[in-house]
Amino acid sequence: MEFLGYYQGIILKELLRHLEIIAISIPISIIVSIPLGFYISPRPKLAKFVIYITSILMTIPSLALFGFMVILLAPLKLGLGMVPAIIAIALYSLLPITRNTYIGLNQVSPRMIEAAKGMGMSNKQILWKIKIPLSIPIIMAGVRNAIVLGISVATFASLVAAGGLGFFIFAGIGRSNLKMVLVGAILVSALGIGVNYFLLTVEDWVTPKGLKIKR
Amino acid sequence: MIELINVTKKFGGKVAVNNLSLNIEKGKLTMLIGPSGCGKTTTMRMINRLTQYDEGDIKLNGVSINKIDPVKLRRSIGYVIQEIGLFPHFTVYDNIATVPRLLKWDEKKIRKRVEELLDIVTLDFNFAYKYPLQLSGGERQRVGLARSLGADPEVLLMDEPFGAIDPINRLRLQDSFLEIQEEIKKTIVFVTHDINEAIKLGDKIAIMKDGTLVQYDDPAEILANPANKFVENLLGQDRSIKALSLKKTKDFILKDNLITVSNEETEREITKKLQEKKAKIAFVLDKYNKLIGRYWLEESKKKEQVEIIFDDNPIFTERNNTLNETLSTMLESGEKLLPVVNRKKIFMGIIKLNDIFEEVSK
Repeated sequence: MEFLGYYQGIILKELLRHLEIIAISIPISIIVSIPLGFYISPRPKLAKFVIYITSILMTIPSLALFGFMVILLAPLKLGLGMVPAIIAIALYSLLPITRNTYIGLNQVSPRMIEAAKGMGMSNKQILWKIKIPLSIPIIMAGVRNAIVLGISVATFASLVAAGGLGFFIFAGIGRSNLKMVLVGAILVSALGIGVNYFLLTVEDWVTPKGLKIKR
Repeated sequence: MIELINVTKKFGGKVAVNNLSLNIEKGKLTMLIGPSGCGKTTTMRMINRLTQYDEGDIKLNGVSINKIDPVKLRRSIGYVIQEIGLFPHFTVYDNIATVPRLLKWDEKKIRKRVEELLDIVTLDFNFAYKYPLQLSGGERQRVGLARSLGADPEVLLMDEPFGAIDPINRLRLQDSFLEIQEEIKKTIVFVTHDINEAIKLGDKIAIMKDGTLVQYDDPAEILANPANKFVENLLGQDRSIKALSLKKTKDFILKDNLITVSNEETEREITKKLQEKKAKIAFVLDKYNKLIGRYWLEESKKKEQVEIIFDDNPIFTERNNTLNETLSTMLESGEKLLPVVNRKKIFMGIIKLNDIFEEVSK
């Protein structure tokens, strides 16, 4: 308790920094992944390739990915700070969002699309009135996964001098200060759980009513 | 109305439809039937350009459909597929309003049309705000039919619409569907693989095999003179019984000497009425003439004494049931006469077992 009182100011600051990293990197990833998912959805061969590449990105250990960013961005004098952290997390969240967009669009029954087409909907109308509403819950689940994953990966941001809740963990380890490590770890987990819960509510909210009916 | 002229369609190297010519008549229900892979569905899909034919031409009211924008063409043709085609995130109302909205009707007109269509397919307006997942298979199929009629198209294409429905509900849907067609008189192309369905529903049947037309005629003619062995096999061995399904119950309805009572009359009054007319059975109708029950007199053991018995769920047959369907209902229930109703359960009269026997023995 004493500790919390002492560090109150810093906790708030690092928490906000942590959220800031997520708030910048995830939209960047969404802007890339969702259109990518739409583009590959009717192209199964390309889709397989794209999802393979994004999976590889995800298998790189997070620490190593941050390391690469630092080295690659150093010549541009961007090696430390927010930039490498944001790029690393954006790369990490490509897979869940791209994959879920692809799956979401492709799970819409072809018969239903055929019915829509047979009734005289244009391709644009089929996309907006049928495909998107029916796949939005799955796309949202991908975004949620990306954000929750991002919250935990952003812990490493403090190693590239971007700050965030990782500060407590790494500073705690350096000083053999268990309390500090605990505070950092608990805050990261609590943030993840809280955000996950909040996003589940959003997911429910964007799911069309007709799909939520239980028989 | 719809003319197919030497139409050929190939998928890769495989010929799906081979030099097919078929003239589909206005206001008729034309059944396309044949084994799977015979090209019947492809033929249907070419009519609204979901599949583009390679050779020949298809004319709608004398105009080649290639000259019509496919999106516009499809909005002018109703389209029904198996139940899965309803949009699950749309209410019943929104599903039915799909084409009128694509055509930018105003909402007032759409609402009136939706009410009208729900009534036609005998669904209460309460259904309008339900979602497809809340409906039974039969209800969904009715909504599918209502949706295809949304903008009152001249032509309807139906791809095995009753295929996924259980046999009992399928019969009821077929009956309702025939009755609706009597009212709306659309030009309908109906794909099926069920020969009984084809005989029961069709004004005309087009039998296909390997992408070619084997025989195209009305059901009676096909039953009497199958073109070849293939058609004979398709019809099966019980052709003479199938011929009975050409006859509809509605042509055998009797209306004379019938006693109908309202649900407000007392048992005493009804007993008296029956005895005066020396009759045994009285049908109970509500103020809309809906059949809601049946009374019959039974002599009790002590003579001169009669008992009156009420049945609130009497067995009935529908006017568009075929004679063999009505016959089997009679045999199963042991009744010698059945009340006949329409799709809204309005009482039409009765049909007697003897009359069916006479028809069979002809």
